[in-house]
Amino acid sequence: MDDFKIILFLCNWGPHTAFQTLQDNGSEIPDQISMIRIPCTGRISKSLLFRAFEMGADGVVLLGCQPGTCRYGSGTATARENTEDTRDIIGMLGLGKERLGHATFLPDESDLLLQFLNDFCDQIRSLGPSPLLPIPMPESESVSRESVAEIVSYHDAFACQDCGKCSSACPLALIGKPFSPRELVNSIIAGNIDSPSVNKDIWSCLTCGLCYDRCPSAVNFPEFIRDIRHVVRKNGGNAREAHGGFFQSLMRAMTWPGLKTQRWDWLPKDVDLDAKSKILFFGGCAPYFDIFFRNHLNVETTNIIEDSLRLLNFFDIKPALFKDERCCGHDLLWSGDEENFLKLAKMNVDSIHNLGIEEVITACPECYRTLAHDYPKHGIPLNFKVTHIYELLEKEIGKGAIDFKKIDKKITFQDSCRLNWLEKPADLPRKLIRRLKPIRFREMQNNGSAAICCGNCAWTGCDAFSKALQVKRLRQAHDTESELLVTACPKCQIHLRCAMEDPFLGEELNMEMIDLTGIIAKTICWE
Amino acid sequence: MTDSQNHQQGKKEIIITGFGGQGIVLAGIILGKAAAIGEHMESTLVQSYGPESRGGSCNAQVVISREMIHYPYVSHPDILVCMSQSGYDKLIDQIKEKGTLIIDQDLVRPGRGLTCDFFSIPATGMAEALGRVMIANIIMLGFLTAVTNVISMDAAQKSVLESVPKGTEKLNTTAFQKGHDYGLATLKGRQKKAAGQAGAMS
Ligand code: SF4
Ligand code: SF4
Ligand code: SF4
Repeated sequence: MDDFKIILFLCNWGPHTAFQTLQDNGSEIPDQISMIRIPCTGRISKSLLFRAFEMGADGVVLLGCQPGTCRYGSGTATARENTEDTRDIIGMLGLGKERLGHATFLPDESDLLLQFLNDFCDQIRSLGPSPLLPIPMPESESVSRESVAEIVSYHDAFACQDCGKCSSACPLALIGKPFSPRELVNSIIAGNIDSPSVNKDIWSCLTCGLCYDRCPSAVNFPEFIRDIRHVVRKNGGNAREAHGGFFQSLMRAMTWPGLKTQRWDWLPKDVDLDAKSKILFFGGCAPYFDIFFRNHLNVETTNIIEDSLRLLNFFDIKPALFKDERCCGHDLLWSGDEENFLKLAKMNVDSIHNLGIEEVITACPECYRTLAHDYPKHGIPLNFKVTHIYELLEKEIGKGAIDFKKIDKKITFQDSCRLNWLEKPADLPRKLIRRLKPIRFREMQNNGSAAICCGNCAWTGCDAFSKALQVKRLRQAHDTESELLVTACPKCQIHLRCAMEDPFLGEELNMEMIDLTGIIAKTICWE
Repeated sequence: MTDSQNHQQGKKEIIITGFGGQGIVLAGIILGKAAAIGEHMESTLVQSYGPESRGGSCNAQVVISREMIHYPYVSHPDILVCMSQSGYDKLIDQIKEKGTLIIDQDLVRPGRGLTCDFFSIPATGMAEALGRVMIANIIMLGFLTAVTNVISMDAAQKSVLESVPKGTEKLNTTAFQKGHDYGLATLKGRQKKAAGQAGAMS
């Protein structure tokens, strides 16, 4: 096979000189290599590396300067971390780590460089074509008035009484962002979908649902915004994706049918599973997030999956896992990519049906909401029931003979917007927390249906106000004089941890966090 | 496996003790009926109220056997169910050496150094959570059915439904089920602990 593509990101400085020598000497550089000259390998983010695969590359290689010779100091170290993280992520995705390489060369190492390029080419040739095929991106067009009008009437946004209750409850407005859901609804109704402020603001909403809770006309603002995002993105609108759109790319990549993911390889062997079980555990994307953030936030949200499985085992439930589990699609749906959300949804539901599963259990609030609520709402019926692990735990613990070890800490709790929104599981976290034995449990100033969000949703619109919101939230947590912040969603851990990394406020904001499943798994015992 | 399960075929002598108003005698009736009608065994019931019957101590003595029962009084029970401290204090010394003690942990504080098989359940607390303290006796019966196997789940449940006032069947079924679940969970917990798996992470 010679029909393959390799993208070579080549640093301007050291290795470019070596590359030029090869060109000057007329050396045979393999045709499959397309070179992109860049100012520093440290600036090639994980999202750019991944985007190359998303756009159809079979191999990607990043060539920079040797450690110590980087013109900007830290470029090589950053490039190495970015490549390592991306390699592990594409490995987990089933693309094969070996498709991404990183190397460094001195200006006079042209022979070594040629050798390297030939070897890399051979390696990609032996791996064969990438299972990913390019997904066309939407073309830029202006959004039709009809499609907006349809959304306005579907969500009955005309019912808005202009009362402003939403804006007075919106945490973004309260933190000082010039942002008003009331005004946004009205601008959209008035047909100003193309105005710069609307175009910006629709991506800022956290879709946390506080406004919906307060709205006397029951305008479901978050879902309204979600659908507006969809038409805007479909017409090429900029989705203001965080992290260069890495996560959206990753999730879109999961729509490739030929993918054989390896998302369970990390699971400890002593977790009891049963491939024939009619109960399936749906893990979610936490393992990918942990790799992405490991050098920065050092989050460990994958623990939530392991702890959940251990809790199921504790109650003698040995679930099946789902080899080709794909992202549930939550973040694509909420950042405007309904087309690819639907692909993921269909693939997941088909595979679950093929396995003959009767019940799906998940510990992720986003997966729960998406599977239980958004799949059927988007015309994908389920032949199985979806249970959040809190429901199951409450039921099993409620049977009795269960005790909890003492927790030597004062605790407080960060609500998950996705659970608060739905009627059924909303009060479950608190029921479970009240069973625990901490020194003390104290609520934050805003809690329950008035809780403040962790600052971001669906990896979109993250800005300085998101940070301000997180700072406010973490200060509220500290005001309870607690030592441990219990969370209910992996994303809350990620986004709140991000604020704790602030070089100036970090120390003040820092607080130990644990997911509710984790603290239950660590302390539960038979009476 | 509990002691009583080992001797399922033999005669079982049971005392349920508590105070007036808890439905102790009703619990005895349900138990006896379940054995007689559901399991086709012989059973007898003797109820004894103290002189101070209202709020005072009372007990139900139940004998269940495959053979004809010649003497219905129980002085040394195989199974002692205590729903009051005074009942416990009075009868604890009379339980058979390999007997089974069951207490409502919300009402009884057991002494130290018990040698018999021992189970406890917060029946009164659970009844309160269901909105009717009165239903603690049915919770207790569900628990007893699960941990002792003197009568089957089916027989016990039928007997409960036949004996409780009309209109309260649903509440009583729930109560029985709660007690039964608690019993199964207790047995499972014992098994797990014996296997060295007391927690989720070990
Ligand atoms: S969903 Fe949340 S962030 Fe968005 S407008 Fe409503 S309250 Fe504000
Ligand atoms: S709360 Fe509802 S009715 Fe009031 S301004 Fe906001 S969307 Fe309109
Ligand atoms: S809060 Fe931090 S981790 Fe979350 S989207 Fe923004 S930058 Fe990323």
